Amino acid sequence: MSNRIDGHGTAPATAPARITFDGVPVAGWTGETIAAALAGAGIRGFRHTRSGAMRGVFCGMGVCQDCLVSVDGVPNQRACMTELRDGAVVRSQEALPALDRAGPPADAAPRVPQRCDVLVVGGGPAGLNAAIAACEAGAEVVLLDERSSLGGQYFKQLSKAQRFAGAGAEDSQFRAGAALIAAARASGARIVTGAAVWGAFGVDEIAVEIAGRTRIFAPRRIVLATGAYERAVPFPGWTLPGVMTTGAGQTLARSWRVAPGRRVLVAGNGPLNLQLANELLRAGVAVVALAEAAPAPGPASARAVLVMALTAPDLVARGAADLLRLKRAGVPVLHGHVVVRAEGEGAVSRVTLAQVGADGRALPGTERAFEVDALCVGYGFHPSGELARALGCAQGWDAARRMLVTERDGDCRTSVPEVFVAGDGGGLGGARVAAAQGRLAGWAAAADCGFAPDARAVAETREELARHLRFQAALWRLYHAPDLSWHLAEDDTILCRCEEVPKGAVAAAAEAEGDAGAAKRATRCGMGRCQGRYCAPILATAAAAAAGVPVDEDFFFAPRAPAKPVALSAIARADLA
Amino acid sequence: MRLPAEADVCVAGGGIMGLCAALALAEDGLGVVVLDGGGHSGSTTNAGSLHVQMQSRFIRLETPARVAAVKRHLPLYVRAVEEWRSLAARLDTDIELVIEGGLMLAETREQYAFLAAKCAEEQRLGLPVEMLDRAALDRLAPWIGPAAIGAEFCAIEGKMNTLLANPAIERAVRAAGAVLLKRTPVRTARRDGAGFVVETAGGTLRCRQLVLAAGGETGRLAEMFGLRVPVVSEPLHMNVTEPVGVRITHLVQHADRQLTLKQARSGHVIIGGGRPASWARGRPSVLRASMEGNLALAMHIAPWLADARLLRSWGGVNAKTDGMPVLGEAPGEPGLFLAVAGDAGYSLGPISGRLLAEVMTGRSPSYPITDFTPARFARCR
Repeated sequence: MSNRIDGHGTAPATAPARITFDGVPVAGWTGETIAAALAGAGIRGFRHTRSGAMRGVFCGMGVCQDCLVSVDGVPNQRACMTELRDGAVVRSQEALPALDRAGPPADAAPRVPQRCDVLVVGGGPAGLNAAIAACEAGAEVVLLDERSSLGGQYFKQLSKAQRFAGAGAEDSQFRAGAALIAAARASGARIVTGAAVWGAFGVDEIAVEIAGRTRIFAPRRIVLATGAYERAVPFPGWTLPGVMTTGAGQTLARSWRVAPGRRVLVAGNGPLNLQLANELLRAGVAVVALAEAAPAPGPASARAVLVMALTAPDLVARGAADLLRLKRAGVPVLHGHVVVRAEGEGAVSRVTLAQVGADGRALPGTERAFEVDALCVGYGFHPSGELARALGCAQGWDAARRMLVTERDGDCRTSVPEVFVAGDGGGLGGARVAAAQGRLAGWAAAADCGFAPDARAVAETREELARHLRFQAALWRLYHAPDLSWHLAEDDTILCRCEEVPKGAVAAAAEAEGDAGAAKRATRCGMGRCQGRYCAPILATAAAAAAGVPVDEDFFFAPRAPAKPVALSAIARADLA
Repeated sequence: MRLPAEADVCVAGGGIMGLCAALALAEDGLGVVVLDGGGHSGSTTNAGSLHVQMQSRFIRLETPARVAAVKRHLPLYVRAVEEWRSLAARLDTDIELVIEGGLMLAETREQYAFLAAKCAEEQRLGLPVEMLDRAALDRLAPWIGPAAIGAEFCAIEGKMNTLLANPAIERAVRAAGAVLLKRTPVRTARRDGAGFVVETAGGTLRCRQLVLAAGGETGRLAEMFGLRVPVVSEPLHMNVTEPVGVRITHLVQHADRQLTLKQARSGHVIIGGGRPASWARGRPSVLRASMEGNLALAMHIAPWLADARLLRSWGGVNAKTDGMPVLGEAPGEPGLFLAVAGDAGYSLGPISGRLLAEVMTGRSPSYPITDFTPARFARCR
């Protein structure tokens, strides 16, 4: 069964590539990801867990580590980040994969730090704008992005294995992203893709994995524009293959031109879910329902909508048009509903929604079940703040938005003066806030290096940022939803996806210890490959509640290297052995 | 749990040393309160090696006089293994204690000769050690890459999972009737008649006997009694990989370079060896050079590890002494005992706790601890 989105405004652009997955031939396109080819072939389970369950694409952006496969005998490859090579032998990854070959040797020589004025980490709206602004002011800039293509999650571009063909797919978001990427490439900044920052030992000691080797960057200023990843809201069945984040669903559909399934339910909180439901519809995919945790807008929302219309009329118009299109297509749009359960043999086949009460718990007697083959679920995001944390930037818990944010001034300067954090990585604000913050951070970082940014542009951008922040505040009043926390999970629902630790065990440990680190050691919650990205905010909240104190950064795990799992061969240095 | 007003014994420090002392004392029928300043007791290092043979880094670093003392007390390590076996059997959880032996690898003829001499000496002292040539090494540990030419093998070395062992020992301490309070640092401690008064944020405790077993903090506590106990917190670099197929069953070290290598049942490969970590903002932090070199050596020994990914690193805090345990009653301070196992503290925890309980209850210790006396240090005043 093919989940390829054929037609609808795109066409394959590269040569066919053939691989095998567990011995079965799979056809794909050169240059796309392994996950795209597998998902395109309707394969949902990629990895075996210790308990014997299967996992598949969950985050689609290299964070969750659930889509691991073995490629040509080398395990632990993220299918969502690994390009397809013709003839590759891909196997589903075992829980304890055998390492057989003698891997690449360690570097033999000292690593000479590469100096520059401004190092930008992340090539999304914030990072690209930061690089452009700093270059424009005259600074020498290096921009790093972990992915092979720029744009980040918001401006994610069409996979290089695809091209636009006719109308229907290339929307304004694609075009704006392409223009921004082109501007960054023309700015004079040195742009390095496929560059994963794994260690922030100091501003002048940034360790980066590039093509399997470590390079050290020693900038005078650093702008962290690391974006965000989906916040976890665990519910029974959320680890089943076919259940993925809304962002992953969007990467599949928008970038890879693969449908998450043929019958997709989209659920969560916030405008991205509405956008994805529309993108799927436009690509000819059946959307069985859109569930939004926030209540339906009513008269009380009028003021928020008015502020939004004044600050970003185009977004309001787009949202209204998207909603209308869903209604015309007969897609049920269920406000005040959440996913209470996903079920299926080996992969999701049935999703149950229910109305949610103000306490974040499902209301009895309101359940509705839907037959699906994919569930995209997105309850908002959490900032990727680990590099800022590693550099010692002060962080705090935003109780209203339930996220760990980095303290920063109007120019996005943190408590460590050489470090700037722009965009969602320091606290959520969306793409337009990120773009303005990126420019301000880029200019301020360049100014620190002795360059003089255009004062009028700075002033205008500050005003622009204020306007976008007003929009964001109104948007999240409109989308205000109950705190679901882990209320939708049962005691035996897995909370820590990597280590398969159930909620009940974590709750007991958090209660007994009142300390996230101790609860982690007691249960292994947060000790897996995603390094606690999904479970740590929940554990922090639970541990703080048990201790009877507000959440603060001490309830999060110590931010030591590596910031992401990195192969030993990439880190090791033989001359220090 | 609340702080009681009185106890027979107060143990300051809930690391492996304090917990094991408390367990032995409580099992001897004493009323024990353990106060730990941190949020997680049991171990600040979390490495889980069970060492017996002389570690090359100590022999190379220590002065000749201390090497002699280390050698003299090798039988203590044999007792330590027995004590760990006995403790593991009494705990309510499988702590994944594996005693399949330890390998100290040689890459050169010189290193092999060094190990052979060490092996002969250790055999003379009663340790179950033998030399393995490459063929024998292949039979025992076929996963080792071509760099090693042979090894010294010690049959009773091993490893355990500290994440399972620490809470299991805590539960045993509580089950034996002791009170264990975390996040309760000792603010002050002073003599009061025949006993002691210990002040904490959670209240005051009176006790007959006081044990200072606070690792690197022990010196600070001892100063309150005018004692100088040179113990320093030494953060050491540790790494753990993602889970991969289990191949390493032994505790593995190197004859001439800083390495410990072992694999947990869960598949995680734990790589250490005593390279330095640092302090940053009051917490142990890691140094890139330690990580780069430590991982390179592990890869050099096991080339297949190149494809494993590093998941975490940390600075495990060792309590460094003058090379020997500090164990026994403080000079001129009846009722005040010091207990710092020093290097290989996790290995020595249970036996040290046992010996301390023996002397604190007026028995003669089942292993001579006179060399470990705190009286070897000068007083402050």
